[in-house]
Amino acid sequence: MSGAGKRQRLALRIAAVPMGLLALSCLYPIFFAINNAFKTRDDYMRDRFGLATQPTFDNFVQAWSRAHLNEYFLNSVIATLGAVILLMVVSSMAGFALASLRFPYRRFLFAVILSSLMIPVQVVLVPFMRTMLALNLVNTHIGLILSYTAFFLPFSVYMMTAFYSGLPRELIEAARIDGAKLLQVWWHVMLPLGMPALVTLAILNTLSCWNDILISLLVMQKHRTLMVGISALKGQYSDQIPLFTSGIVIAAAPIVVLYILFQRRIVSGIAVGAVKG
Amino acid sequence: MARVELKQVSKSFGSTDVIRDVSLSIEEGEFAVFVGPSGCGKSTLLRMIAGLEETSEGEIFIGGDDVTDEEPADRGVSMVFQSYALYPHMTVADNMSFGLRMAHRPKAEIKDKVERAAKILQLEEYLQRKPAQLSGGQRQRVAIGRAIVRDPKVFLFDEPLSNLDAELRVQMRVELAKLHRVLGNTMIYVTHDQTEALTMADRIVVLRSGRIEQIGTPGSLYQDPDNAFVAGFIGSPRMNFLTATALAGGRLAVGGREMDSPAQATLEPGRKLQLGLRPEHLDQNEGIDLEATVEFVEAMGSTSYVHATLATGETIIAERRSSQPRTGDKIILHFAPASARLFGDDGERFR
Repeated sequence: MSGAGKRQRLALRIAAVPMGLLALSCLYPIFFAINNAFKTRDDYMRDRFGLATQPTFDNFVQAWSRAHLNEYFLNSVIATLGAVILLMVVSSMAGFALASLRFPYRRFLFAVILSSLMIPVQVVLVPFMRTMLALNLVNTHIGLILSYTAFFLPFSVYMMTAFYSGLPRELIEAARIDGAKLLQVWWHVMLPLGMPALVTLAILNTLSCWNDILISLLVMQKHRTLMVGISALKGQYSDQIPLFTSGIVIAAAPIVVLYILFQRRIVSGIAVGAVKG
Repeated sequence: MARVELKQVSKSFGSTDVIRDVSLSIEEGEFAVFVGPSGCGKSTLLRMIAGLEETSEGEIFIGGDDVTDEEPADRGVSMVFQSYALYPHMTVADNMSFGLRMAHRPKAEIKDKVERAAKILQLEEYLQRKPAQLSGGQRQRVAIGRAIVRDPKVFLFDEPLSNLDAELRVQMRVELAKLHRVLGNTMIYVTHDQTEALTMADRIVVLRSGRIEQIGTPGSLYQDPDNAFVAGFIGSPRMNFLTATALAGGRLAVGGREMDSPAQATLEPGRKLQLGLRPEHLDQNEGIDLEATVEFVEAMGSTSYVHATLATGETIIAERRSSQPRTGDKIILHFAPASARLFGDDGERFR
């Protein structure tokens, strides 16, 4: 018995070595960015890898105002928030319809949505851009919000359809007998019951929208979003690594905060639909 | 309170006919039970009355109004589902008041009705709880409460007790029967459990393969079934069916014995028949005697059911109230010819 236990402990210790290295390779760049964000330029020149000797917030202040990150930040917040709210509303409605209502070509429609999941964004960029130009949506926040919604909708609809398919039909029937119209059934019953899945979707979509470069580079050519701005920092201030890393920290902070706040939700959300409650 | 009338109602899913040409009327204040084996269409018929399934053909009237194409909410019906279908994110009070809120009733009226229903159903202390915090029986009562507050013309119950344990089921059965007496509404109740049907119904509608086999009071279905299906379905343990042959002069041959036919109908000699005998009618001291070998005895306390084999090889179940034979015993089963029911080999009853 104890022999088996010892052997198991030894195996765990041996496995811990590559695991530790893997963790280190993930954590070090984060440490590098945060550490250098607090260094002065001279401090960085003297020792790139050492700890900041005279920690300063100057880089953050500079990045925020001089490099226009404040403006980009606002653009990102507007686009992300707008798209995520729109995505939640539309995917919840579509999921309800596809999972619970009977209408002609329902399966066909679902198959079309599913198949659009398999087409990479790059393939449709030209027709997408032409549509945006034709609709005068380039360089507008609305344009970016609609673009994000369009590109991230198929997965969201798929997930909400799967989630709602697991709910008993009788809930909808009971609400219909209780006199609720279709939109009321959605608002009073399906939307609140879909919250676990919707919160997960909101987090995943926030990540996708916030971190996007490709779509916003195309749609917001005059006003940059934060991620486009950060990418540009790399070229503009290539000799000012502390300024650049402070930009990265500013960009990553909201996502990290979101993750810390919703950590439990994210982990449980991944299992949404896997096990029927 | 309202009368429910179905006129030549049919329902098909694609090419499958689920309900075939059903005509039926349920009187004001009546407690009607739809009963039948699974897949007989009883739930579909109820859902058609509720408006949850479209009616392919025929008409449905509630309180004299043609509701065939009406929305469920406009039919004046309330329904209690097998799974209760309580809204899990709402409190008991919100669950019960949902229908009234949808109808934009005044707040005072909603509060009053919810409190009254909660009192009837002894749910007052649970009004602020969520369904997940309630037991099965309490959830069932909430579902009934939700139906009561809407003050419907007709209550529809779709196997409401089948998720409860045996003891609670008996208790809720009594409570539902009492509720019907108190409220006096028309109630339609679907079950596959013939005991529930016999104990609760004013009238039972027996369905098979989407057709009505027989409509009648529990007593009349039990005593005077129209066919072998109803005779076998109603009553537990089920009726025994022995092969019989018609003889000349209104006589029958059954189980190696001859007897007078219990039916007036003239039957040509040699015709194959089935003789139906209820287990409790085989506990007589005189009458036609059948020798049987005991295979198994189910002791139920006050009574016991003897599973036995006749000399012809047919199996038979007989009730024994006084004596309790043991496995392997030879026993004589007596029955009075008048207590037997005669059916053709196609199941048709001869009277």
